[in-house]
Amino acid sequence: MTRYLNLYWLFLIQRLKVLMEYRASFILGAASTIVWQGSSIAAVWVVMQKVPDLNGWNYDEVLLIYGLITLSKSINHMFADNLWTLGRMYIRSGGFERFLVRPIDPLFHLLADRFCQDGVGNFLVGAALVVKSTIALGIDWTPPKLAMLVVGVLSGGFIFIALNLITCVSAFWIVDSVPVTRLVFDNHLFAQYPLTIYPRAINILLTWLIPYGFASFYPASYLLDRQIGNIAWFGPFVAAILLFIGYRLWQTGLKYYSGTGS
Amino acid sequence: MIRNAKRDLSVYAAFFAMIPKLFMAYQLWFWIGLVLSVISMAILVFFWRAVYADTASISGLALDKTLQYILLAFIFSPLAGNDLVWEFGSNLREGMMIHHLLRPINFQGMNYAQNLGRLVTELMLQIPVVIVAVVLFGLRFPTDIATWLGFIVSALLGLTVMFFFYWFLACLTFYTTEVWGLGVLIQGMSFFLSGTLVPIIMMPAWLQTIVLSVPFAQAVGVPVSLLTGIIPLSEAPRVWLTQILWIIGMWILSTLFFKVAVRKITVQGG
Repeated sequence: MTRYLNLYWLFLIQRLKVLMEYRASFILGAASTIVWQGSSIAAVWVVMQKVPDLNGWNYDEVLLIYGLITLSKSINHMFADNLWTLGRMYIRSGGFERFLVRPIDPLFHLLADRFCQDGVGNFLVGAALVVKSTIALGIDWTPPKLAMLVVGVLSGGFIFIALNLITCVSAFWIVDSVPVTRLVFDNHLFAQYPLTIYPRAINILLTWLIPYGFASFYPASYLLDRQIGNIAWFGPFVAAILLFIGYRLWQTGLKYYSGTGS
Repeated sequence: MIRNAKRDLSVYAAFFAMIPKLFMAYQLWFWIGLVLSVISMAILVFFWRAVYADTASISGLALDKTLQYILLAFIFSPLAGNDLVWEFGSNLREGMMIHHLLRPINFQGMNYAQNLGRLVTELMLQIPVVIVAVVLFGLRFPTDIATWLGFIVSALLGLTVMFFFYWFLACLTFYTTEVWGLGVLIQGMSFFLSGTLVPIIMMPAWLQTIVLSVPFAQAVGVPVSLLTGIIPLSEAPRVWLTQILWIIGMWILSTLFFKVAVRKITVQGG
């Protein structure tokens, strides 16, 4: 474990050196994510200036939900963005072979190979939204609530990573896994808003099938003292189960993998 | 020998299997693109329904009209898109810019034609999205020919405004050489400023002023407002005139900037 942490650190330093060579690119990358998020938030702001109540949620409560999922997403974006490029950048080009001959876990190698700077923008947006909204809402930070904040964001982050892992494994069979990952990943957009605005089927989908709800709606409901029961604490279990499935699929994929011949 | 033949067979079988995989990949993208559009539209529709839960009208727009606007703006959002920044970027990286400039045709004209071709293709590809929007989300199109005429003229003028505006922005790549981030940044701004997410009429006055003093809204927000009747048809000539003025301004600005910026071309590695 310590060996992997040390290794990750070394990979990260190398990556940062590369990024610092292209400083403008680094800043533009982070800035572009901020602008994208800014556009969506501006739209919500415009609407909620006119109608301050979205199905029983006020503006700051919506921002809290939006901020929590953006923080979770940023963990995935910064540390696991390479799952997206497995097929395109590594398997198609044959570069994946490089991972297989090295004495470290190929999955670790894939993840450590590229820290994604664009995720920093998401992290800043998410943190700013959570700070802004919790102050405006006057949330009383009792120990369970603080724990929920950490648990919610971390398990949310791992849910993002696990779902991307599960879908990216398809690259071992169909080479380009991006469409499959996109298909699941885009469902997180639902969870940027309170799940109560959607029909029951979408609620079930985002709680039990593609459980992005645990990255935003459930922790936010708990922080706001809404009655949702113990389900708020299910996040870590959901994340653990998904990660387990993802890793098993990854191992199956590795066994199947035979290279593209390039 | 048999083993050799077996090995050969499996090698060639792998090459054989690659082609259906490639073909399937394109097919897959088509269907998945459609599902992604459905997800985006569903979020928009449910969001707006929740907004209208306790109110009949916002800034004079009833739920039905807002939904028509939002769905149509989503469908016609390619009008505000443009690949010029990336086009310039890849030309610069490959050292192709000089070849384009030496050709005995108008470089800007060539790009305009390509841009129009891209748009027509993208809008054709939206047809399945339109069908889904009609069936699932109750999208209806106006049947009045005059309204369509007002929209089409305004959309053509609007995309021309955007072409010259993007041309201006693309010239920035001569200075920055950083292309990807710049392109994404512009797309992100256009997402809100084009009026795709919220009808412009709902914005506070100061924000409307900002949105209407940058060109993005001319390509989506303005034409779709004409199509949905948010801007009455009698206003169409005034809208067209404004857009023509935008085109003239952007054309002058972009042409001048290109003339200056083109001297800055440094081919990377050359």
